[in-house]
Amino acid sequence: MATVTFEKPLSPARPDWQALAARAGLRRSAGQAALLAFLLLVSVPIILPYFWMLMISLTARTGGVSTDVLWTACAVIVPAVLIYSIVHSLVPSPRLRLVTGLLLLAIACTLLVALIGDRLHFDNYRFLWRTNIVEEIRSKATAGGQFPSVWIAFRNSLVLAVSQTVIIITVASLAGYYISRFAFRGREAFLQGLLVLHAFPAMTLIIPIFLILYWVGLLDTIAGVMLVLATIELPFYVFVMKGFFDAVPWDIEMSAMTDGATRRQAFRLVVLPQVSVGLIAVAVFAFIRAWEEYIFVRTFLIENKNWVMSLYLFWVADDVMGVDYGIVAAVSVFYVLPSLLLYVFCQKYLTQMTIGGIKG
Amino acid sequence: MGPTAILLFLFFLAPVAVDLGVAFTDMGRTLAVSSFTFENFERMATRDTRLLGALGITAVFVITTLCIFNVTFALLLALVTTSVQRQVGAFFRAVWLLPRMSPSVVYALLWLWVVDPNERGLLNQVVVHVFGLPPLDLRNNHPLLLVILANGFIGASLGMIIFTSAIRSIPEHLFHAARADGAGSLAIVRHIVLPALRWPISYMTIHQTLSLLVTFEYILLITAGGPFYDTTVFALFAYRRAFENGQYAYGAALSLVLVIVGVVAALALWRLMDMKQLLQSPRIEVH
Repeated sequence: MATVTFEKPLSPARPDWQALAARAGLRRSAGQAALLAFLLLVSVPIILPYFWMLMISLTARTGGVSTDVLWTACAVIVPAVLIYSIVHSLVPSPRLRLVTGLLLLAIACTLLVALIGDRLHFDNYRFLWRTNIVEEIRSKATAGGQFPSVWIAFRNSLVLAVSQTVIIITVASLAGYYISRFAFRGREAFLQGLLVLHAFPAMTLIIPIFLILYWVGLLDTIAGVMLVLATIELPFYVFVMKGFFDAVPWDIEMSAMTDGATRRQAFRLVVLPQVSVGLIAVAVFAFIRAWEEYIFVRTFLIENKNWVMSLYLFWVADDVMGVDYGIVAAVSVFYVLPSLLLYVFCQKYLTQMTIGGIKG
Repeated sequence: MGPTAILLFLFFLAPVAVDLGVAFTDMGRTLAVSSFTFENFERMATRDTRLLGALGITAVFVITTLCIFNVTFALLLALVTTSVQRQVGAFFRAVWLLPRMSPSVVYALLWLWVVDPNERGLLNQVVVHVFGLPPLDLRNNHPLLLVILANGFIGASLGMIIFTSAIRSIPEHLFHAARADGAGSLAIVRHIVLPALRWPISYMTIHQTLSLLVTFEYILLITAGGPFYDTTVFALFAYRRAFENGQYAYGAALSLVLVIVGVVAALALWRLMDMKQLLQSPRIEVH
């Protein structure tokens, strides 16, 4: 949008429109640059720690971390990124952009290898194939007893996250569809109750939930945590799914049923494909939430064969932090990677999730 | 429909009832109930001296985090990211969502590495080498500041998302009209954007107050409520009483207070939601 500022001509002589437009354009780009600089500045405290974690995991050895590696790497990467973003905003042709990008990438990689290449190593990732890593570092038995292999924790996390996601998808889509399509008695009351539950903080119920799990014998089992996690987020997901179902026109369902499909077929073959974006969004979100859960698993899971990744990382950090930063950082990177990848690749689905809408 | 109702009943309504019941018992470390008593509430009201401190810390924590990050800074981010190029704005919003998407244990570890009291901490590298100051030890000397920062960096992102979509839904022609009338960028923000954000802002304020009141995950991970009780907010106080000291009944009584606060706030939020859209009548009037 080209902005032209209209100013009252001061003199009866014709104003120099071009000069005015140029000045406004200049002011505009200066303003944009200032905004960008602000965004860059406030984002540094977020990006830098993640990068620091990666660098620790790749360079630290038992006993210490050297900090100059971080700044050397930054000194190479930051100019490269800056140059590329300037090129990206100035050069319109995608081909040229790609070429410059690759060129810069090559230069940056060469520089990195030349400057800090000999410092990088994957020793810290040895927890992936060695089990007693913590005991080795501390050279004694640890407080929590034997550390399980990281793969057990990984598998538990995966089981927990996947089964939780499946429950949420099934239940939320059925409920969402039902609420969206059917008039049943008490529908309004149910919706309002659901809404209150959605706003209600489940964290406050952690003590009674603990007691209920204890009484029904699901304490210290993955299944118990799975049910609890699925439930406390359920109202939110029901609303999200209802929103998606509301957006599906009734006509296509009606025509499917006119053509002889049963209600169930119409739901499965016609309506569900229409809300696939919603299903994916809910699934990804639910998976990430379960993957990162800490408080509930910390409280409800005790034995180390039931550890999930967050507990594994917590106890590793608890035991060797200060002695060996590298291992802790490596476990963190390993743990954060799945949710990060999901987040990056499914972002366009996640942004389509809205709930209800706020009075506006 | 059935499964939803069952799950919600089991893990939402039943816990409230259980909490209500257990709060009036003397359940201790053995999880056995021997008698019913009002002692927990009496203790809360008169004898627990630490409780008052926890309440004060909670107030400081919630109000500061809310005012600086979850509303103000979120608004700022939403305004700035919507006034730069679309892709650039989306990129920076993604960056700010990163902490919310990464596991809480990892996020807490990042903060521990940042504020590491020796010279290797990320913050201290800057403080010592750039400014030439002695190394800081935030975790022991300014623990409350630390937990406020850690929660704020996460809290800002939700407000940012909500405000961004609210700004996007303002009709474009209003901006053009204002420009044609000679309004500057700040005047547009003041007279067009902010009035349009009135409801989202009040919604976010209540919502975030509530979630800050009950949250203690990052505090538990970063400072564990310490040193001593210096960062133990009310919710964490209840948690520690129950799971560290084994006073389950007292913890239940404490969280009953939070449950009541939660219900009240949830009802308030409910007034702010767009009920007409949520309750729009179903598409099919059959059973």
